Amino acid sequence: MMMAVSGTALEICEVYDPYVREWKEGGGRVVGYSCVATPVELIEAAGLLPYRIKALGNPRTDLADGEMSLFNCSFCRSCLQLALDGTYDFLDGLIETNGCDHLRAMFENWQHNKNLPFFHYLKVPHFFRDDSLEYFRRELELLRKHLASHFDAPVEDDALKRAIEDWNLVRERWRELCSLRELPEPRVTGSEALALELAGSRMRGQDFAELLSSFIEERKKAPGKKPRARLMLCGPATDEVAWMEEMESLGAVVVADALCFGSRAFLHRPGTGGDPLEELAEGYLTSIFCPRMYKEYDKRRSYIMETAKRAGVDGAVYLYNKFCDLHGTDSVLVRRDLENSGIPVLVLEKEYSAAADLGRIKTRVQAFLERIGGGV
Amino acid sequence: MTLEKGYVMRPGENGFERAVGILEMVYKFAENVSDEAVEGAANFVFPELKNTVLGLLELPANRDLEIFFFQRLLELFWEAQRAQSEGKKLIFIPFTFPPELFWAFDSLFPLCTEIVSGAIVNICYGQGERFWDYAVSLGLPDSLCSGNTIGIASLLAGPGLKPDAIVYNTPGSCNPNAKIHAFAADYLGVPQFILEKPVDESPRGREQYYKYLLRFVRELEEWTGEELREERLREVMQRAYRAVDLYNEYWELKKARPCPVPNIFSMTLLVLRSQMWGREECVEVLQRMVDISKERLRKGEYTAPEEVARIYISYIYWLFDFYNYFTWMEKKGISILGDILAIHYFPPIDYSSKESMLRAYADIAFDYPMTRQMGGESISLRWVDDICYAAQDLGADACVFGGVHACKHTLGTISFFRRELMKRLGIPTLVLIGDVFDKRQTPMEIFQREVETFVDQVVSRKKAGRRRK
Ligand code: SF4
Ligand code: SF4
Repeated sequence: MMMAVSGTALEICEVYDPYVREWKEGGGRVVGYSCVATPVELIEAAGLLPYRIKALGNPRTDLADGEMSLFNCSFCRSCLQLALDGTYDFLDGLIETNGCDHLRAMFENWQHNKNLPFFHYLKVPHFFRDDSLEYFRRELELLRKHLASHFDAPVEDDALKRAIEDWNLVRERWRELCSLRELPEPRVTGSEALALELAGSRMRGQDFAELLSSFIEERKKAPGKKPRARLMLCGPATDEVAWMEEMESLGAVVVADALCFGSRAFLHRPGTGGDPLEELAEGYLTSIFCPRMYKEYDKRRSYIMETAKRAGVDGAVYLYNKFCDLHGTDSVLVRRDLENSGIPVLVLEKEYSAAADLGRIKTRVQAFLERIGGGV
Repeated sequence: MTLEKGYVMRPGENGFERAVGILEMVYKFAENVSDEAVEGAANFVFPELKNTVLGLLELPANRDLEIFFFQRLLELFWEAQRAQSEGKKLIFIPFTFPPELFWAFDSLFPLCTEIVSGAIVNICYGQGERFWDYAVSLGLPDSLCSGNTIGIASLLAGPGLKPDAIVYNTPGSCNPNAKIHAFAADYLGVPQFILEKPVDESPRGREQYYKYLLRFVRELEEWTGEELREERLREVMQRAYRAVDLYNEYWELKKARPCPVPNIFSMTLLVLRSQMWGREECVEVLQRMVDISKERLRKGEYTAPEEVARIYISYIYWLFDFYNYFTWMEKKGISILGDILAIHYFPPIDYSSKESMLRAYADIAFDYPMTRQMGGESISLRWVDDICYAAQDLGADACVFGGVHACKHTLGTISFFRRELMKRLGIPTLVLIGDVFDKRQTPMEIFQREVETFVDQVVSRKKAGRRRK
């Protein structure tokens, strides 16, 4: 399964792509995770490669359907499919998080069938408070110990601090990238940003920061182009670059996003001064802008509104996978609030990577663009 | 979309008020209602209510109990309607929240969302469909849980009861449940109070839950301006534990062959547990349920000529047609032994202090049905362990997974569950997917056909095979 962002030098390869292959061939070990609440710094400080589980548009789910039902998120089923068909056999371990019910079921089926030697459940609280923070800090401590004992790779404070610095640099670069997207004549498209995130979410922090830096430098020099419409894309973990390209081929540019494979993955800002685990715990738990968090809708709303305004969007698309209760429910409030502030919203529910859905969705996006004055 | 008022909805009313209005007919029933009176009542009402009336009253063994029970439930609903004018705060809670804690606050009145949904579905004309459709018309996904969405949508849809706060404990155990409660609070602009169960079964997880509970209680105290009094808590918990003793007896009675407990009591128990636990009428109703079942056991009474199958419902009952579900199975000789919501764990309780009682409450809530399994460290393993325990203890021949399309965790692990149950107990599972409160998903006729075939082809043959050996 090859993917490319057409017209750019960026290339996102298969799940087990040359970058990971090279890492493995050099004797490196790889640990999979799925949720942005997982501090990759810890994995990296143990000398391991953090790999964010993705399906890269894989449309097949036949094996996974034997385990999960058709009422489960097709993104999760696609990922499980890749586990069951052996694509993910290169993983040396897996970290489960309690992101959503579908994901939890996916992880359990994965483990029942593959029985990975390292399987860790990182329990992430559903709200930020002093008591939940304390709990989460201890969770990170347990993960650190488990990684160290299983992989015989002690996670020293210094290594952890270095990993935090590396990933903070990634976050800084991402913000720079976002400002190029937000220009009146954007220098980066939404598909490119998504492709970059997909590439980076299977890399070590340092390499990812370098990739971003060189991409940014190149784009700073390139001319931008005024789009017909400036869109914001909100939603869950969509890793379908091709889909985003189709949307942008209609004349719009996704100049900002609140996606899980996207800007929401870069909002954590762990400090570097204090105890690294404490910094990580706070940096992560305060910045999960995901509908899995409770009593935090106001925070999500402010983030989305500020981003939309800063990027000067003409409209927003809230896209989520069928059966996703978290995003489906939040989308109602987001639409209400964005529309009340004058930003039109299109809510789209779709199956993951279903070719059959593409035509329908393109028609709706096209109509939406016409509505907001940006149709081709 | 505005709700069509139609001939069933009066101005100022909503689903809940309408259900209460219709339910008032239970006060019109005389003592010792005759078969003819039941038939007359059933023919007098619209089809959905007919199935409720027959489901509750057709079989003489349940009749008096269900009338008594529904009278108590109606009184409780009236109290809910008066609560705010009497200076109490009305809160909505999901059926995963043991209500006894809230009864110990004089200034709170907890109304269970799913009981409101259930009342609308089983009493109102058109069931909950108009409310479900209303929710979807707001843009909410149709993959949510009708169990709570119908009750919540009736809150959002217009006039009638409005809560002062939404209180829920499902983050971590059920996305649809937690999200719809959070949504209601955000949409209505009322406060929300949450108690999260960490998906962590270690002593640390339990301790964290207890800490969260203390914080939760403090938040309620601040909000209501009422301190949770030790005396009052003790009174309520003691009553709750009188119900626990009866629940234990009820469980034991279910083991007898043929099962002397009428199928519809499964629904009654669920309502008692979700709404009335900790109140005197809960004890009264449970006592009668136990007495009736004991008497049937003594007399060897069973509705069908023989007990053909003993079924454990591996998740939850479908609750939109009592007659064609509970009564139909009972007449066919299929005993319903329970569902996930019937499996409770009650720790020993120490009444000596507020802390010790809250400790016990924390354990009850931690191990509360659905929360315990779906909020478990492993959904599939905890679920399968608990159903295995219940099915084995009660002597089930088979399981029926009446899945609810909203329960993504069970649907996501059902294949493992089915295989594992067969491996561990040699018990087959019939997997059906439908909806707890919406007949449009899978109508009862299909349910009946599937269950009948399953019992004929799988369960009876297996039993016959065992007998021949
Ligand atoms: S898209 Fe929704 S249902 Fe699917 S993994 Fe993400 S949050 Fe869960
Ligand atoms: S577990 Fe299933 S039935 Fe229970 S509240 Fe959640 S979706 Fe509804």
